[in-house]
Amino acid sequence: MAVTVGVRFPDNFRSFTHEEEALGNEEWSIDLGRSNEVLFTELFGYMFEEVRIVGPDEDPALLGLDAFIEPSIDAFEFSVPNQTKTDSFAVWIRYRIKVYNSSGDQIANWPLAAYGKSQSRMLGGSEALQEAAVLAMRDAAALMIDKLDRETGVGATRAKRATAPENAVPEAQTTAHDGDANDAG
Amino acid sequence: MTPADLGRIPTRILLTGLLAALASGCVTSRVENAREGKTGIGDGETIVIMGKSYHLGNETEDSYISCVEDAIGRGRGGLKVIPRQQFVDALFPWFEPRTAPAETKGLVKLMERPGVAERIAEQGVRYIIWLDGDTERVAGGGSMSCAAGPGGGGCFGFAWWQNDADYNASIWDLQGLENAGTVSADVSGTSFLPALVVPIPLIARTQSAACKGLAEQLRAFIVSEPQI
Repeated sequence: MAVTVGVRFPDNFRSFTHEEEALGNEEWSIDLGRSNEVLFTELFGYMFEEVRIVGPDEDPALLGLDAFIEPSIDAFEFSVPNQTKTDSFAVWIRYRIKVYNSSGDQIANWPLAAYGKSQSRMLGGSEALQEAAVLAMRDAAALMIDKLDRETGVGATRAKRATAPENAVPEAQTTAHDGDANDAG
Repeated sequence: MTPADLGRIPTRILLTGLLAALASGCVTSRVENAREGKTGIGDGETIVIMGKSYHLGNETEDSYISCVEDAIGRGRGGLKVIPRQQFVDALFPWFEPRTAPAETKGLVKLMERPGVAERIAEQGVRYIIWLDGDTERVAGGGSMSCAAGPGGGGCFGFAWWQNDADYNASIWDLQGLENAGTVSADVSGTSFLPALVVPIPLIARTQSAACKGLAEQLRAFIVSEPQI
C-alpha cells in the first residue's frame, strides 16, 4: 500500500506473557516475548511503502505520517487436551488494531480474532502449545494481509490526506504545526 | 561370528516376522477412487500433500499426513513430494488454514494474485492433494486385572478395541485448475489383548494400513492414464 504509517507497540504487546492454571491444576506460562513486535514490524514493512516505529514519547502527529497504527492484545486464551478430550492444543489471540489518520482522528478500531491448533501426538505438551501460538500469530498475519485495508481503510489515508481541507488552508494553521514541531524539538 | 551363527540369522528373522504377523490384530480395508479428469505427471513436476483446514473442522493427524508423504515418495516410481511446510511458507499467506482455498473454484482467483503462480511454478507443483478424515476408536470391551506379590505378578483377562480409519484425498490439478478426482480409504481394525500371566498385545495397525493403501492408490491414480 502506498502509504507511510507509524506504528506504536504498547509495552504489553512488545513483551507478552500469559499465565493460567488450566484444568487439573496444571500451571501454564506462555511467554511470546518480542515475537508479536517482530511479526508486526515485518508484516507492516511488507504491506506498506514506509513504516516508522513510533516511541512511547513521540507525537505521531509531528512525523508527517499518512496513518498511525496501534496494535494491542485484548485477550489470550488456550485449551489443553485435558479440557477438550482431544489430543490438540488450541490458542486464541484477540488483537485490536486501531488506526488514526494524519489529523489524529481514529478511523478504525478492528478486533481481529486469530486461532491456531496443534496436535500433541507428535510434539510434547509445551512444544505443541508453542506451535499453536505460532499458528495463531500466522493466522493473524494472514488475516491482516487479506483484510486490513478493507476493514480499516488505511490504504486510502494518503489520498484522503491530500484532499483534506486542512491541506488547503491557511498559513496560520501551518504555522501552528511548525510551532508544535519546534516545541517538540 | 561363526558359520553356525550366520545360519541362525534367517531363522531369527523368520521367527521375528512370524511373531509380528501373529501379533497383529484383524484389519479390513477398502480403498476406492473416483476420477473426474485426466492425470499424469512429468519429470520435473512435484506434488504437495496438505491436510484440509482445521477451520473447516478437519482433524486429520499430522502423523498421518507425514506417513502419506513418505509412502507416496518412497521406492521406485515414488513421486517427488514437496514438504507441506515448505510449500505453505513459500505461498504465505495463501495456504494458511484460514485462507487456503476450500474448493477448486477458488484456484483461479488465487493464481491471479501477484507472485502465486510464479512461486508454485518455481517448486514445480502439479498436484495438491488435500487429506481429510481421521482415526477413531469406535468400540471396545473386555476386562483385565493385574496383581503383583513377593513371588511375582501377572495379569489375567481379555480386552479388545476397534479403530476406524476413514480418510479422503482430493486431488487438485494445478495445470487445469480442476479437481482430478478423489481417493478414499476406509480401514477398520480390531486389536486384542489377551493375558494369561503375561499380556500379549495383538495390535491392528489401522492408521498405518490406511496410510499405505491410500498412498499406493494415490500414486497409481496420478501416474496412470484413465481407462477408456
